[in-house]
Amino acid sequence: MAKEMWVFAEKPALQAELLACAKTLGDAAAAVVLGNQAAVDQAFAQGADKVFWLGEKPDHLLLDDYVPTLAALLKEQKPAGMLVGATRRGKAIAGRLGAALGVTVLADVKKFIAEGDSLQVSHMVFGGAAVRLEKAVTDIMLATVSFGIVEALPPDPSRKGEVVKVAFVEPKWKAVLRERKPRPPSSVNLAAAKKVVCPGRGIAKKEDLEMIFELARLLEAEVGATRPLTEGLDWLPRERYIGVSGAFVKPDLYLGVGVSGQAQHTVGITESRVIVAINKDGEAPLFSQSDYGIVGDLYQIVPALINALKARK
Amino acid sequence: MNIIVCYKLVPDPEDVVAKPDGSISLDQAEWIISDYDLMAIEAAVQLVEANGGKVMALSVGPSQLANSKAKKDVLSRGPDELYLVVDDGLRDADTSLTARTLAAAVAKLGEFDLILTGEGSADLYFQQVGMQLGELLGLPTFNAISKVEWSGGKLAVERSLEDEVEALEVPAPAVLAVTTDINQPRLPSMKEILKAGKKPVVEWTLGDLAVQDGLAQRVEVLSVRSPKQVNRKQIRIEGKPEEAAQALIGHLSKEGVL
Ligand SMILES: Cc1cc2nc3c(=O)[nH]c(=O)nc-3n(C[C@H](O)[C@H](O)[C@H](O)COP(=O)(O)OP(=O)(O)OC[C@H]3O[C@@H](n4cnc5c(N)ncnc54)[C@H](O)[C@@H]3O)c2cc1C
Repeated sequence: MAKEMWVFAEKPALQAELLACAKTLGDAAAAVVLGNQAAVDQAFAQGADKVFWLGEKPDHLLLDDYVPTLAALLKEQKPAGMLVGATRRGKAIAGRLGAALGVTVLADVKKFIAEGDSLQVSHMVFGGAAVRLEKAVTDIMLATVSFGIVEALPPDPSRKGEVVKVAFVEPKWKAVLRERKPRPPSSVNLAAAKKVVCPGRGIAKKEDLEMIFELARLLEAEVGATRPLTEGLDWLPRERYIGVSGAFVKPDLYLGVGVSGQAQHTVGITESRVIVAINKDGEAPLFSQSDYGIVGDLYQIVPALINALKARK
Repeated sequence: MNIIVCYKLVPDPEDVVAKPDGSISLDQAEWIISDYDLMAIEAAVQLVEANGGKVMALSVGPSQLANSKAKKDVLSRGPDELYLVVDDGLRDADTSLTARTLAAAVAKLGEFDLILTGEGSADLYFQQVGMQLGELLGLPTFNAISKVEWSGGKLAVERSLEDEVEALEVPAPAVLAVTTDINQPRLPSMKEILKAGKKPVVEWTLGDLAVQDGLAQRVEVLSVRSPKQVNRKQIRIEGKPEEAAQALIGHLSKEGVL
């Protein structure tokens, strides 16, 4: 029987990458889709050979309420595995599915390696200080996968395939959704950025980020961040932070400004082509991982860079 | 309200040593409470301070867990009682075995309204155990919780997702994994440190528990190695800010990245 690899992701862009990944791991790729007919068509265009269609989500339900439905479907269909988009909600869903199916979820997989019949995966551990290679020894492999490990295929709207309608399984418990407060939309896709300017704790005040954004505009770069600026200080949305628990970037240029270079952060930048560090502490670990380093006060260097770039235009 | 707070004792990631052959040594590592769990402990203590009741701390893991300093450390952070499953069979336990062991221990703890966990562990950061535990117990289960309030036997929570914050009313008992910014954990006071030694501690081994589906691991760890290092040019640019800026732009232009 053909080995099917499934994907389930709440974000269409992530679903596209997971489908591209699933196609390399199984004989066929299937998407589990929650949404309207357009969402089904989109999954096929992104490369799905088959769609398990959960229908459209009524407003009063959370995506989390579909865990019993997904668990029943996985038990009945027994695919080789399912890749779950590693959004926060995706991680919760994957964990609950793992328990329901009695498997361990391979979390935040960075690489899949086919070894004969078995599939090995690697992910970061010890805050980025080590890479762990492991293999699931259960029938169904469940993994969470984030943006940036495989590139999406070019969409092909002419692709079609089998649609299997899936009935909703009523969950044993439900939370009541009282309110939904949208966060300011973040259109950052760091994983795809060609240039990244990354401020760190060397920035003294939130207002000073303005000069970082200006530098980024002049370089046509995305703005990333170290974690402390997004969690804790809340100066920037979490989608912007780079590192073991955040985004992995592979730009042509990474420019760290006031970034010390702790392993938890730098594992996320090792695939950058050129790394530049600006830091007033000549001993900062980021220097030894950089191609170019300026030891100095960012409050002098960044304005000088801005002026020099403006003069160049 | 009675709260169970789960925490993990981990080798301090700062003490992980990469050896020249690429292998990793934890021999020098101090074992500490995973920093993400400090927020879960603080959240539990704050809820009980506001609503009455007690906090039961619970951890499962290898022999380091039974270290008296480690036990005092967690109790000095406010929990009233400590429950441990100490067994070297839990060294490198996968998330499934950890969650099933926790579930078996929870079954021995009696009535509770809430189980709190950290967002992930500081060593592996798989962010799985809390979610698996909740599902095993058949309880409402959510992660990314950035606010919890208790009123009239229900939990009012905020869940911080990428694009939105959900305000949810969750029936109790529930299992919630909290974010790192839910609070600022306080430092243990001298008074709390002195009190810690007198608080009740219950220790079990795996033999004392009925762990569902046995003790076999569901993943096989093949290797743990330091990541590949790329050799970088490490060119230092000296001079006044203006000169340094010009020099950097020159280099970047030659690299073709401007
Ligand atoms: C389990 C775990 C997971 C983590 N995951 C991540 C992650 O995914 N991503 C992440 O980023 N972090 C992560 N962290 C946090 C990480 O360990 C570091 O704390 C963080 O990366 C440091 O951020 P920073 O470099 O901005 O701040 P710091 O380490 O405080 O560095 C600030 C730097 O700015 C320099 N500086 C200060 N003032 C100036 C000035 N005027 N001009 C020039 N330079 C100046 C200083 O010399 C210093 O080197 C994690 C931590 C743990 C424990």
